[in-house]
Amino acid sequence: MNFDLSDEQRMLAESATRYVREQCTLERKRDIARGDDGYSRERWAEFAGMGWLALPVSEESGGLGGGPVEVALLMEALGRGLVNEPVVDSVVLCGALLSHEQAQGRAGALLGALIGGDAVPTLAHLEAGERNEYEAAVATTARRVEGGWQLSGVKHVVRHGHGATHWLVTARVERVSNETGIALFAVDRTTAGVRVASHRLIDGTRGADLHFDAISLPADALLLAPGPAALALAEALDRAVLALCAAALGSMEAVMAMTADYLKTRVQYGQPLARFQALTHRMAEMFVETEQARAALWRAIAAVEAAELQERARAISAAKWLVARAGLLVTGQGIQLHGGIGVTEEYAVGHHYKALVAFDKRLGDADFHLLRSSTLFNAHFEPAAA
Amino acid sequence: MNLHLSPADLAFRDEVRAFLRENVTPEVARRSRIAMHPPHDGDRTAWQRVLAAKGWAAPAWPREYGGTGWTHLQHHIFEFECRMAHAPELRWQGIKLIGPVICTFGTPEQKARLLPRTLTGEYTWAQGFSEPGAGSDLASLKTTAMLDSEGWVVNGQKLWTTEGQFSNMGFFLVRTAQTERPHKGISMIVLDMKSPGVTVRTIPMINGDHSTCEVFLDQVRVPKDNLIGEPGTGWDQAKFLLSNERTSSADIYKSFGDLARIRSIAAIEEVRGRPLLQDPTFARKLAALEIEVQTLEWSVLRVMAQAPSAHPIAAAASVLKVRGSELQQRLTELATEALGPRALREYTREEGFADADGDPLWHDLTPGVTVDQMYLRAVTIFGGAKEVQKNIIAKLAFGL
Repeated sequence: MNFDLSDEQRMLAESATRYVREQCTLERKRDIARGDDGYSRERWAEFAGMGWLALPVSEESGGLGGGPVEVALLMEALGRGLVNEPVVDSVVLCGALLSHEQAQGRAGALLGALIGGDAVPTLAHLEAGERNEYEAAVATTARRVEGGWQLSGVKHVVRHGHGATHWLVTARVERVSNETGIALFAVDRTTAGVRVASHRLIDGTRGADLHFDAISLPADALLLAPGPAALALAEALDRAVLALCAAALGSMEAVMAMTADYLKTRVQYGQPLARFQALTHRMAEMFVETEQARAALWRAIAAVEAAELQERARAISAAKWLVARAGLLVTGQGIQLHGGIGVTEEYAVGHHYKALVAFDKRLGDADFHLLRSSTLFNAHFEPAAA
Repeated sequence: MNLHLSPADLAFRDEVRAFLRENVTPEVARRSRIAMHPPHDGDRTAWQRVLAAKGWAAPAWPREYGGTGWTHLQHHIFEFECRMAHAPELRWQGIKLIGPVICTFGTPEQKARLLPRTLTGEYTWAQGFSEPGAGSDLASLKTTAMLDSEGWVVNGQKLWTTEGQFSNMGFFLVRTAQTERPHKGISMIVLDMKSPGVTVRTIPMINGDHSTCEVFLDQVRVPKDNLIGEPGTGWDQAKFLLSNERTSSADIYKSFGDLARIRSIAAIEEVRGRPLLQDPTFARKLAALEIEVQTLEWSVLRVMAQAPSAHPIAAAASVLKVRGSELQQRLTELATEALGPRALREYTREEGFADADGDPLWHDLTPGVTVDQMYLRAVTIFGGAKEVQKNIIAKLAFGL
């Protein structure tokens, strides 16, 4: 067993780190957050140029064939810089759905546009009353009509729902013998009959509620049929959770670094704060948590690579639970050790805390993932294949 | 990068499992599972002989002295499987502490004299580092060794000498010179615990047993060639000794064993008419601890494999000690909680190791649980207290 990175992996991590250091200032992030989209299309084009949008997509599908290690390296660097562009939502999550072996219709074309930076898809799955994407019971319906589909329903807190070019919408369709199942559809941002209510989210991105009022979709809008859709969704969500964990780890490392610097420079009672053992021990505790979070990420990476479904689910959920707890502690204590400046909007540590609060609420919270991680609970948490 | 067990690793695991199946009897397994401190003396002595005959008694030693040349992962597999099979826990003082020091710093004569008998368990070692006035601040130790024409004369007092009452040999940190920087005058010396002037007194501990001792050294004569290395190099040897403990200080093997024990207890204990294991409140606590232990295993693997990191590996090693010891305490607390009111019974060593008597009021998973919780209050204190580890982390990881 060894954890050494290949030359290519090291180069990826270094170029992402350099990009973040040079381009991703807090001022720039705050500017972008003030815009309508909650992310920068300019920056998105740069990501395409760096090859990051093609990173996790298989080589057969025109991507770079990066695995969970590559995604984690990129995301940790982006997390350090509080990057809000929809890399996880579009590239990792939608990329996995569009490149699924049973994907059909427009999936191939959309995937090509995603890699090139022309399409920015996002998943529209969650609905009111649902707490996480893994268990979401979909009420949105799609009915087969002459020449295509008719889709109705409301999707809730769709991340980047306003700035996306396409929504990948889950909807219940009728299967044989009066049963229904969840399928996945592609919907253009410009489709008639969609009302978009956009909201600011605490991490500077945008969420949207999407109201689909009997919209018409062409036949090739069906990307994944019932059955494959549920399986593809479970796998894509796991990969997205892994990527989010890596970004959270980037936040934790960034907070530790800036807090250690602060303790060395801030003078009170005639001496630097670094002289106070109560504070240095807090830093040590933050380090312990961060190292555990990193170990949880590696366990999850190994599980994804081994492709054993049950262990993948358990390890991913274990990581999500542990990283959330560790990340909230580290970033929260980062604020505490900074004192008053830590709670100001113009200082990065509070933004990292908000990133971790957002992390915990996304794709299943800590309570959900604790249940999913354990064999002690009999209920199984994969969405019903129905 | 490779994060998985290779076919060779899996074959090795099968070999270890087969060996354990053949050599750990149910009676021995039962006594090992019951966590009395110290463990059953006869079982561990016999087990060390079995392992020595197999060539597995001191896997981590260099090959020429009896080690196995295993990979880090093989060591990990071996320790894990031994624990899961309830093999007796070997005395670690000889195999894990002084053995590697002698292998590295000893003279050829010392190696020939001391290592083979340590390997077979004929020598049972006592560690003499701490003193009444030198705990975390070990360099302030006062025990002296003075050289005269016939050899060393040792005087002083040692404290927290674990299992000293079962030891026939000891390795001691002693002051051989008064120096400006206190650690510069420290040397490591080995001595026969039967020597005149050595008095061992056991200390009753809160686990209801005598797991540790104080050792009085009064004009103890020690042969000249029993000093390890040059006079004044004992501090380096002690640091080397502790660095060998890097990953084992987490003792995740015990923690995995404890998880299994808690599951077994919670499967038979009941609350409101159903097994405790199905109680959501209890199950959540256990699930959280399972994640922590499984995660810590990956921290251990990362340190073992010296995974690339932005932080010094010694800081990561202290993390293993901090989190590993915290988890050990939480696990024993949860095991006690699982037992409910019957956890309050205090078992003597004899009661704990006695054969199960079939009394339905006291099932066989009861003994050793509460004792273990009491004993493990020390795990955040010995081998470098948690607070000292935090100092180390703050310094190494952040320059604080």
